[in-house]
Amino acid sequence: MDGAFAISQSDKRPMYLQIMEQIKQRIAVGDWTEGQAIPSIRQLAVDLQVSVITVKRAYLELEREGIIVTQQGKGSHVASTPGLGARLREQELEQHLEQAARIAALLGLRPRQLEHRLREAGDRLAEKEII
Amino acid sequence: MRGSVVGHLILKDWRLQCLPILASVAAGALALAILQRGNETAFVVGSVWLFVALIVIGCMLPIFAIVNERKKQNLAFLMSLPISNMQYTTAKLVSTVGMFLAPWLTMVVATLLIVQIRGILPHGTIPITLILLMLPFVGFCFIAGTSLVGESEGWSTAATLVCNSSYGLVWYFIVKIPALTLTFKSPVAIWSPTALAIFGSELASVPLMLGLTFFLQSRKRDFV
Amino acid sequence: MNRHYPNGLAIELEGVGKKYRFFSLDNIHLKVPEGQIMGLIGPNGAGKSTTIRILMGLVHQDSGEVRVLGHQMPAEQVAAKWDIGFASEDMRLYESETLAWHMNFIQSIYLSWDAAYAQVLLKRFGLRAEQKIKGLSHGQRVKATLLLVLARRPKLLVLDEPTTGLDPVARHEILRELTGVMTDEGRTVLFSSHNTQDVEQISDRITFIDRGRIIDSMDKEMYLDRWRRLRIEVPFGIQLPALPGIIGVKQDGRLAIATSNAFDPDVANAYESTGARIQRIENMTLEEIFVANVEHSREEVEA
Repeated sequence: MDGAFAISQSDKRPMYLQIMEQIKQRIAVGDWTEGQAIPSIRQLAVDLQVSVITVKRAYLELEREGIIVTQQGKGSHVASTPGLGARLREQELEQHLEQAARIAALLGLRPRQLEHRLREAGDRLAEKEII
Repeated sequence: MRGSVVGHLILKDWRLQCLPILASVAAGALALAILQRGNETAFVVGSVWLFVALIVIGCMLPIFAIVNERKKQNLAFLMSLPISNMQYTTAKLVSTVGMFLAPWLTMVVATLLIVQIRGILPHGTIPITLILLMLPFVGFCFIAGTSLVGESEGWSTAATLVCNSSYGLVWYFIVKIPALTLTFKSPVAIWSPTALAIFGSELASVPLMLGLTFFLQSRKRDFV
Repeated sequence: MNRHYPNGLAIELEGVGKKYRFFSLDNIHLKVPEGQIMGLIGPNGAGKSTTIRILMGLVHQDSGEVRVLGHQMPAEQVAAKWDIGFASEDMRLYESETLAWHMNFIQSIYLSWDAAYAQVLLKRFGLRAEQKIKGLSHGQRVKATLLLVLARRPKLLVLDEPTTGLDPVARHEILRELTGVMTDEGRTVLFSSHNTQDVEQISDRITFIDRGRIIDSMDKEMYLDRWRRLRIEVPFGIQLPALPGIIGVKQDGRLAIATSNAFDPDVANAYESTGARIQRIENMTLEEIFVANVEHSREEVEA
């Protein structure tokens, strides 16, 4: 389960952010569902070979965003909010769309051109899935 | 459990140094084998070898058991164990003196048995024999103490040089003391006051030097 | 969490000083809470090894108090060392003996030796117990020394450069065991290292030492969060002002890099209000912080 977690040394972002992102991805993808128990702070720290304080910070931030809940003495679990996974997927999509819009602006593309490119990307994906 | 950490260290030393100890005992045995042949040449050769063997053991033992431990950086490993520097000093002195006593006592007893008891020389020579045989032991304690306190091969070498160059001189003076040599032919060992004084001071110097070693070790503030 | 020691501190150094002929430790204050990993970093000769030897009771401090696992050091070093696993870079095992001999030696002294775990470590580290120490490579010797320390499961691990000179695989193995120690809340680790990556990854707290003085000592996440590098585009004719929290600015033509050790977003606004444009605000790795910090603190001392 935790083999898929990895802290990248070359990723310049702070470790706690990487952990947060990977946890959100797990939930977005459906590996971890609403209300499901997740590794304790200490356990995840040992598994990832990072400091307890880093995992603690990640969990605190996630709790602030309402994504997980940590209870004293009972460990941590994904928040039981229905549709959390979907919400996180939405967030990720939003981030990617903003990123695309930003780069398109740098390239000098107009909105219509961006739309077209997006549709093309969708078509390519559909083709791959048929094959 | 606590007191025995010192015991473990002593045993460790004896185990690590068992080869040198055996070699030294063998050298001494060889010297005695020559001595007991009885003729004059054998006596001279044998007794010289005996002393050389004891002196060499007295020099090499501190190097193997004390100096090398510091030089090869084993000391930090030992001091990470639950012992204080005084406990280390105790273990080291007990084990090292023990390692010297083994061949030395054997040789002293064997010498007395061979030379005096078997009659190669009259019993009147016993006091001077003991006095002379004590010298390497005194020298050894000096070298061992200096090696432990001195913390470097340099100190150990200096102490060894001082001792080795002194043996000849001391020996020369001792054999010139009438009070000791006059009683040679006597069939009974005669301990004149002079003989007792010399032997007594030799004996007393051992705890004195060991005590001084302890004292100086306890004053150290940087142990490793 | 249970507090086994006064103030919940596994290690406490207060006002510790030590004077040598060419070097002195000055007013060292260091606190390592129980259950945490403390990383000690600093340039060569900064005083890391001396500080570690003082807290092990191997060197007697000239001034100040040292308490380790509740014991005064060096007076109570024997009691403390029962629960401390110490390994330093200049420590050597007996060349003529095997690893198995060393394992037996340690086992005969300490009750807490875990023989099963020792076997696991032998396998993980790729060591053979019957091998003599003199036949081992440097990396294998380091691992052997660490095995002897880890298999006892001591309450406190004090390690002076545990990963120095190790290949990446061996380093990874050691870090794995060190973080594994954290499974037990009551165990504490203090290690010094040149490898800022290791320290950044596994430390809960970081202490920075340079030239015998402690420059910084705090929570790692907080520490990393205080440092930023700002890449600024400076239009012709504009002079960048000195701002609080900015410890250095390097300018080359129109591009400047400002380093901050107490970052506040207002600083970015302050720069922009002068007409300069902030291109990017970046986090810094511990290695970059290390270099900037040492340079800065040395400038401060000389000023």
